[in-house]
Amino acid sequence: MEQAAQTIIGGILQGSVFAIVALGFTLVFRVTGAINLSQGAFCILGAFAMYSLEQTFGWPMAAAAAGAALATAVAGLAIGASTFVPALSRLPASSMFILTAGLLTFLEGLCLVVWGSEPYALPPFSGEAPVTVLGVRLPTQGLWIVGATLAIVAGIWWLLMRTTLGEALRACAENPAAARLMGIDVPRMTLFSFTLAAFIAAVGGIVVAPILSFQFDTGRFFTISGFSAVAIGGLGSFVGAAAGGELLGVAEQLAAGYISSLFANGIALGLLILTLLVRPSGLFTARRSRREDVRDEHRIYHPVVRLQGARGAAFGAAAVLLVLALPWLVPEGLLSSLVITGILFIAVLGLDVLMGYAGQVSLGQAGFMAVGGYTAAILATNHGWSPLVGTAAGIVLSLACALGLSLATMRLRGHYLALATLAFGLMVDSLTVGMTETTGGPSGLVGIPSFAIGSFAFDTALSMYYLVAALLVLLVLALLGAIRGSFGRALQAVRTDQTAAAALGVNVPRYKMAAFAISAVLASLSGSLYAFFFHFLSPEMVGTQRSLEMIAMLVVGGEGTLVGPVFGVALLTLLPTAFQPLAIYKTLAAGLLLVLTVRYLPGGIFGTLAGAAAARGAR
Amino acid sequence: MSVPALEAQALCKSFGGVRAAVDVSFAVPARTLTAIIGPNGAGKTTLFNLITHLFAADSGEVRFFGASLAGLAPGEIAARGLIRTFQSARIFPGMTVLENALVGAHLQARAPALSQMLWLPSARREERELVARARSLLEMAGISGHARTAANELPIGAQKLLEIVRALMARPKVMLLDEPAAGLNDAETGELAALLRAVRASGVTVLVVEHNMSLVMGVADQVIVLDAGSIVASGTPAEIQRNPRVVEAYVGQDLL
Repeated sequence: MEQAAQTIIGGILQGSVFAIVALGFTLVFRVTGAINLSQGAFCILGAFAMYSLEQTFGWPMAAAAAGAALATAVAGLAIGASTFVPALSRLPASSMFILTAGLLTFLEGLCLVVWGSEPYALPPFSGEAPVTVLGVRLPTQGLWIVGATLAIVAGIWWLLMRTTLGEALRACAENPAAARLMGIDVPRMTLFSFTLAAFIAAVGGIVVAPILSFQFDTGRFFTISGFSAVAIGGLGSFVGAAAGGELLGVAEQLAAGYISSLFANGIALGLLILTLLVRPSGLFTARRSRREDVRDEHRIYHPVVRLQGARGAAFGAAAVLLVLALPWLVPEGLLSSLVITGILFIAVLGLDVLMGYAGQVSLGQAGFMAVGGYTAAILATNHGWSPLVGTAAGIVLSLACALGLSLATMRLRGHYLALATLAFGLMVDSLTVGMTETTGGPSGLVGIPSFAIGSFAFDTALSMYYLVAALLVLLVLALLGAIRGSFGRALQAVRTDQTAAAALGVNVPRYKMAAFAISAVLASLSGSLYAFFFHFLSPEMVGTQRSLEMIAMLVVGGEGTLVGPVFGVALLTLLPTAFQPLAIYKTLAAGLLLVLTVRYLPGGIFGTLAGAAAARGAR
Repeated sequence: MSVPALEAQALCKSFGGVRAAVDVSFAVPARTLTAIIGPNGAGKTTLFNLITHLFAADSGEVRFFGASLAGLAPGEIAARGLIRTFQSARIFPGMTVLENALVGAHLQARAPALSQMLWLPSARREERELVARARSLLEMAGISGHARTAANELPIGAQKLLEIVRALMARPKVMLLDEPAAGLNDAETGELAALLRAVRASGVTVLVVEHNMSLVMGVADQVIVLDAGSIVASGTPAEIQRNPRVVEAYVGQDLL
């Protein structure tokens, strides 16, 4: 009984942090209609700043906390003013989503560069001795956490309901065009909400840091938990955000306490999917803001880039020749990097079908790489299956996961697939780390054989290179065939205008599902090849970091062009190899490149070049 | 009397306190062109949304060649041969004019995705046939010169024509056109009238919402007048022009 009470109290404490992140999400969403995935990263930025001020510079606790929260708010102000706010009026909602994913990656990369990859911990504010309240022992930090949550809830309520500033913010949420006509400076209000959300996140991060250990990439757990809390509670509702956070926290603690901590992330995903199935609008439905349906009809498009006929064929033939000759043109040391580029391109190709053509965002592409990689590697290494059959088994399992996820989310509009895939990726992360006996745990699975077809083993970099190159040529040709035809046109129609597509008889959920299945199959294949090539597989090779990196590769290379993403993959794979000492900057660079591309180069590298070539040809 | 192509039976729909459709019943005979007119806010577009199940009606039902459409999704309704256009030309941006037209043939394309992936001769032949038909329809609508242009770069009038071409690519039995002449200049409106007559002559039943009276009176076989969600009059164009209630609703407007 007492243990149950302790578990539930632990859940409330954890849930308070989720609630704080969720409140930040809700604040930005209400004012701008955009989901800010970088929200969780500001928690960790606040915690790191606190650590540096208190432990490194020796500031007193209260001054360090205030300084850290303010410093994070200033960082939020700078980032908001330079990226988020100017992009908001120019980019469609899905690009805003990618932009904030880029900000999340950028902030993680920044923390990695400044504070390194080791875990940190802070001392509790009021000493280690717990207090006893009504017979239940509480860590004093818990009181700080609950107090901070209540203060934030009360503060937001007071701001929105009792001040002129709050009225202006609410006006932006209801109808930005009318608010602008009434003389409200909408970009300024947007910036204010973004900064305030960063400040709130920092306060949450600072008070919770003493009860957990944190590192550069912990922010994404806050993002996913806060995002899940928002979806469970009801997007746009402040009460829902707080309640959803607490519910999620308690459920996760109960699962960790009574089942296994392995499944804490699984519980988040399960609760989320259950909510989406039973009550898609969440437990507390916000008063329907006009903003959302206006956004919904905001049609998304890229500049049209088509290399057709003879020019397209000539380009293709030149590309194939280059791929064949490349191993003889580069230094031998670079060959295995080329193989890795090719293997990752297979997964990014799938992501392009899903994101670039069908317009569905996936933040869990590496989760399918993990499913394919671990399934094939375990079957081939420990059970003596042939690599080919193991790869096929991985593909079947990935397809099953993809169909399950899409059945739960495909009928919903907006970012629910992104949310579900992020949760899926994190769940796979925790399973690969936690199931030590099968997967080798954090230290990885070793002794994986080479890929083989029959008795022929692809045990050299050169043979793997030609295997991957041949696969890629076939895959690109096959996808090109489908994309040029009615299949690809239906996908693009779904991307830009679901209502009009359905009115022409396009089965919208079915096409979304098909795109998701293709992307999962390709990721799975890529993951298997990856494991067989390295003869080793560890969770972080196919973790959420990788998912975010692949989005950067896709967008930087050029979404919706099939071949374009290879430039992004090559850039982010070959550069860190060529400049080894700079490898620590890789995440930072990926995030920065992603943000800059979304903001200034919507066609990516390939789209911009091909667009220029097509324009020159047309002249 | 043969079965009407499209029949609305006692359709009702309220949004909050606003009654957008009040007991609306009408029949569109096959191979005719029926026009719905009425002031702004009369519920014309709502009626289209009810027929194509973009909104669920509070009560009443729609029959298509005698068969009820109850419970069908918008895509399934399209598959029966009932194709609509939208008031604000909803062409697909980010695709060329030709590709937009080809999306209209989605239900006609029989080659499965796998045969497209394998570049099978059957799939390529089908594609060539669809492209040829799309080109001839674009020609008919006078926008074939833009086939390779990004559709969102077309002027609004051409986008509306493209939307009609896209609907025709679906080989509809019944077409619902929502204000096809909005944004068109006089010459383009004349071409539209010719296009509509050709469509009707080819055996397609047309139901059109339109404000342009000279277009309506020139091409319609039957006119239905809607006001505040109810049908206030219906008949041939000549009858409508003599109807005192209609003239009253359009005071100050020249019906000719």
